[in-house]
Amino acid sequence: MLDGWPPPILDPAGPDAWAIATLAWVLLAMAALVLGVVLAAMWLALSGRPELRARLGGTKAIWIGGVAFPVVVLSLLLVYGLSLTRTQSAPLRGDEMRARVTGEMWWWRVAYLDQQRRPVLHDANELHIPVGRPVVLELESGDVIHSFWVPRLAGKLDMIPGRRNIIRIQADQPGVFGGQCAEYCGGPHALMGFVVVAHPQQRFDQLMRSRLARAAAASATPQAAQGARLFQSSGCAACHRIAGTPANGLAGPDLTFVGSRRTLGAGILPNNRGTMMGWIANSQAIKPENRMPPYTLLPGEDISALAEYLEAQR
Amino acid sequence: MNAWVLLLGGLTVWAIHFFLLYSFASLFPGQEIARILTLAATAPALAVDALLLWAAAGRAFQTDELDRWVYDVSATGAALSFIAVIWQALPALLV
Amino acid sequence: MNSETGFDPELLNRFPTSEERPKGEVEELNRIWAAPSGWARLTVVNNNYIGIFYTGTAFLFFLLAGALALVMRTQLALPLNGILPQETYNQFFTMHGTMMMFLFAVPMMEAIGILLLPQMLAARDLPFPRLSAYAFWAYFVGGLSFFASLFFGLAPNGGWFMYPPLTSITYSPGINADFWLLGIGFIEISAIAGAIEILVGVLKTRAPGMTLARMPIFAWAMLVFAGMIIIAFPAVILGTLLLEFERALNWPFFDAARGGDPLLWQHLFWFFGHPEVYIIFLPAAGLLSMMVSTFARTELVGYHLIVLAILATAFISFGVWAHHMFTTGMPDLSISFFSAASMAVSVPAGIQVFAWIATFATGRPRYNTPTLFLLGALITFVMGGLTGVMVALVPFDWQVHDSHFIVAHLHYVLIGGAVFPMFAAFYYWMGMTSSRALSERLGTWVFWLMFAGMHITFLPMHLTGLMGMPRRVYTYLPESDWMATNLISTIGAFTLGAGILLFLVDLARNFRFTVEDDAGNVYGGGTLEWLPTGLYSTRSIPVVRSRSPLWDDPNICEDVEKGRYLLPNAPTGHRETIITSPLRAEPQYLQIMPGPSPWPLLAALFTAGFFVLLTIQAYTPAVISGVLTIPCVLRWLWETDRPVAVRTADVGAGIRLPTYVTGPSTHGWWATIILLIVVFMIFLMTVFSWFFLYGIHPRLWSAPDNLLSLVPVLGGYGAAAGLLFLGRHLLARTKSTHWSPATQILLAAIALVAAFGIDLWSWRESALDPELSAQAALTFAFLSQQGLLVAITAIMALYLALRNARAMITRPRNTTFDVVFLFMLYTAGQGSVTAVLTRLAPAGFPA
Repeated sequence: MLDGWPPPILDPAGPDAWAIATLAWVLLAMAALVLGVVLAAMWLALSGRPELRARLGGTKAIWIGGVAFPVVVLSLLLVYGLSLTRTQSAPLRGDEMRARVTGEMWWWRVAYLDQQRRPVLHDANELHIPVGRPVVLELESGDVIHSFWVPRLAGKLDMIPGRRNIIRIQADQPGVFGGQCAEYCGGPHALMGFVVVAHPQQRFDQLMRSRLARAAAASATPQAAQGARLFQSSGCAACHRIAGTPANGLAGPDLTFVGSRRTLGAGILPNNRGTMMGWIANSQAIKPENRMPPYTLLPGEDISALAEYLEAQR
Repeated sequence: MNAWVLLLGGLTVWAIHFFLLYSFASLFPGQEIARILTLAATAPALAVDALLLWAAAGRAFQTDELDRWVYDVSATGAALSFIAVIWQALPALLV
Repeated sequence: MNSETGFDPELLNRFPTSEERPKGEVEELNRIWAAPSGWARLTVVNNNYIGIFYTGTAFLFFLLAGALALVMRTQLALPLNGILPQETYNQFFTMHGTMMMFLFAVPMMEAIGILLLPQMLAARDLPFPRLSAYAFWAYFVGGLSFFASLFFGLAPNGGWFMYPPLTSITYSPGINADFWLLGIGFIEISAIAGAIEILVGVLKTRAPGMTLARMPIFAWAMLVFAGMIIIAFPAVILGTLLLEFERALNWPFFDAARGGDPLLWQHLFWFFGHPEVYIIFLPAAGLLSMMVSTFARTELVGYHLIVLAILATAFISFGVWAHHMFTTGMPDLSISFFSAASMAVSVPAGIQVFAWIATFATGRPRYNTPTLFLLGALITFVMGGLTGVMVALVPFDWQVHDSHFIVAHLHYVLIGGAVFPMFAAFYYWMGMTSSRALSERLGTWVFWLMFAGMHITFLPMHLTGLMGMPRRVYTYLPESDWMATNLISTIGAFTLGAGILLFLVDLARNFRFTVEDDAGNVYGGGTLEWLPTGLYSTRSIPVVRSRSPLWDDPNICEDVEKGRYLLPNAPTGHRETIITSPLRAEPQYLQIMPGPSPWPLLAALFTAGFFVLLTIQAYTPAVISGVLTIPCVLRWLWETDRPVAVRTADVGAGIRLPTYVTGPSTHGWWATIILLIVVFMIFLMTVFSWFFLYGIHPRLWSAPDNLLSLVPVLGGYGAAAGLLFLGRHLLARTKSTHWSPATQILLAAIALVAAFGIDLWSWRESALDPELSAQAALTFAFLSQQGLLVAITAIMALYLALRNARAMITRPRNTTFDVVFLFMLYTAGQGSVTAVLTRLAPAGFPA
């Protein structure tokens, strides 16, 4: 089978995406049908039998083909589309899991919220959700307009400075669902990916419990370690936060769980020791214009120590 | 009637109707009143379109080529506007 | 038959006349209309030359923007390709979109209009030839400097849609964004100048008897096109103005933290941006209608339906702007209205497509290169329209918005709806401006390469979009599944490019510009542009009795050429054309037209200089250049509006027309009213912004503390209006030179300046700071517009006084006086509304 088939939009993994995929197939069929009618009419007009051509050659044909036919087709589609718009934005139940995703140039700030909508857990570029439960995301922006889009789970919604948009997503099967910023946000907009990981409810609860415990506790790695010291002395801590350590920078992604992330650089690199070292040494070569300065002057063993330290943050 | 009023009448009805609906939805976002006002604006818009169609029926009595033609365009415009105004109001019932 | 102006239509039945015309008339026409040669050729204003310069320049920008696309396609052929660095790619796609829309598509349609319309309407020229020249030169210089920014790495990189806050000074500190804002703002001025020209030209310079029901469809399309520019472009002019103010002066229109809103820009931009698509499509559809009729060798079936379709498209296109904003989180009810309107706008498109099919079915179709292009256009456009219906449905758009599906959709619409028709038109109308027709054999190759290339590029791109590839990305990861379709698209793009290259070869081999001995009516069209012509257009101006005069009257060419119709000579000894009434095209008067002049060219150069120098922050030279524009414009106008010695002229068959007419039926009056509509639309958009921003952050707004100043401000504007009416009254009623109209006009100007001065002063004294709140920023945006209007009226008043001193103001009425009167009266009105609105609305400001 062709690589990439079925395409994500036609391969939904949640109820909202399902409804849109069905709509997409209906629309594709409509387009094929109408194109067929127009092509047939063109062929008849140019080289059909004389009596057929005569029938096609008058204002009546325009009224039938150009007015009545589209009005019928479009009326049906409009009713379908509008009803779907309503079901897609059904009111929230109130007991959904909530998280806040904030678009930043060019990564995603993630905060898990409790029922009072207070942030309880910080992360970046990756969102964990339970299977089969609707998740409400508050979409915000820290700088310019971004757009949140995970095609297999739902349509997209923009993140606009000064506004808070609400989107509901749901995954009906466990898995890893990729997404990407859809609104041009300058510089490396092309390299602003995102990952949603859906776990069965039990595994999800487990994960959250352990993460909450980790966030409340001191760092798992002894602060005496070489990497921990370098993290402070080389300036990493000015922008990054690691819970339970003096590192409390908020400008860049929260690194408390960076070791467990599936990707680095906002969805663009697999996460392993090599890529971590490469990113620290010169992320500008990988993702030009991103806000992290290159550390080309740092000796290799320091970078290695930093990478080791970060890989341990899970 | 003035030729320009006839030529652009139906479409003007659509335009006024549309911008009224847009204003209602913007002034009362997410409120029931926006729907009610939408439907309230739709009835007179359809009535004016029907009136234009009726006026255009008088074209049979026109001997002048241009006048006849203006009424032809007017009738088509009113018919198209009629459909478009109905479509425009559908969201108030369905969304 | 009914009459519109009191002119007896029976008089036109005297044509064609039968007596011999005196000798030497053609020679005199040739002498009067001769184009300057050598370097002075640059000062021509005749539509034959300006039209071809304009078309050529627009085509050049098409090639340049197309070349950018080929480089981008090469970059996207493979994942993580290294042909274009990220920053350059961002500049390339911004420039590609901007150039294709602003420097190619709209100017190209305007250019084709300027080239074809006078001939199609059998006018000697468009009514404001010097304005055409100005519009062209402004566009030429402005466009080239804009493109040159690429070579310095200064090209804009915020996308052709320039969404703030990405384009605000915080996130785009360089002058790249300013190049867009000032460059495009400036080219919009040129587009509006052209639109005024076309509107007045189509409504007022048609051949006698060419009623609205007999107008060529292309003229209908251009009429609507120009009307749409007048309504749509002010929105983006205001948008660019506000964003440039925000960048330069730190006025927060789009900054959410200080009461602005980024979505305001999107509303303003797309209120222009979506009609823009139809602004491009309608003229092209008009061209298609003309050609379909010729190639089917029959009258267009459903003429009145097509006219209605064109009008309906124009109206409904103003109700679809927010379908570019379905994903911004607007309320569901609002976006659903736009979804419904987007459905409605496809019905007129359906009407046109089936009208063309019905015409083919009625006639005896011929196959040649233009037919291929127009059939190709039809298929491609229908496919683009169908994906358009798909994305008009909100939930589907939530998925595909800003993905490559949209890139595919819009290229289907624009290539099918504008580029293919344009190529068909090149082949079809080449005989009008070239002594040789283009090659049929090469043309077939050109078509198939372009058609195949287009579909190979963009058909798979729909799938790329469904696979989740967003737009405006300079690369993608190897792990994605997007490589295969992207590679195919790149191959297609080069096939398309090869077709265009072959067209250039054809052009180089066969295009030989000429006005006099052109290849002529190669395809046997039936409309007036195929009459034999010289620089003066047709020898005599025919009476139009049907939609295809050349088919219905086999003698018309000879009669026209022998001078048996109207105006077979130049009775005043100047360039002139017949002004007719808008509905029934009844002759009204003879317009005296200005000839070649260096002043429009110089005015254009200085205007361009002003904007370019402003962009590169050379403020002093910019101001000098801007100030120099004023005398150039005034000098060009100085020679106009002068009554000639011949008060009425015989235009043939004993029909006499006046040579100087004033008041609401004149071309000058119409142009002024249209210009004021543009100014009013900019104002209206500012009012919209005012209420929009209030609606977003009502709590950040406060009641102003300068309520009392309303009295002197309104008093000043009222006094100005009173003085204007007094001046008009005295001009008509008295012979006294003591109370010359200049006195009242100058006093009125002083009143305007005083009223504005008090308004401005009271705001500067008030507690509102335009850097701190959007309310204050918008107040000062209102004031800036008013200040500009007042400054222009002051210059106008001085100009009028100067003309009056030279005894050039005719009594009882005078066109220059009327123009100044209308403009000043409007200024007083807008000033009053501004003063009241900024102080009192929305009623009950929260304390």
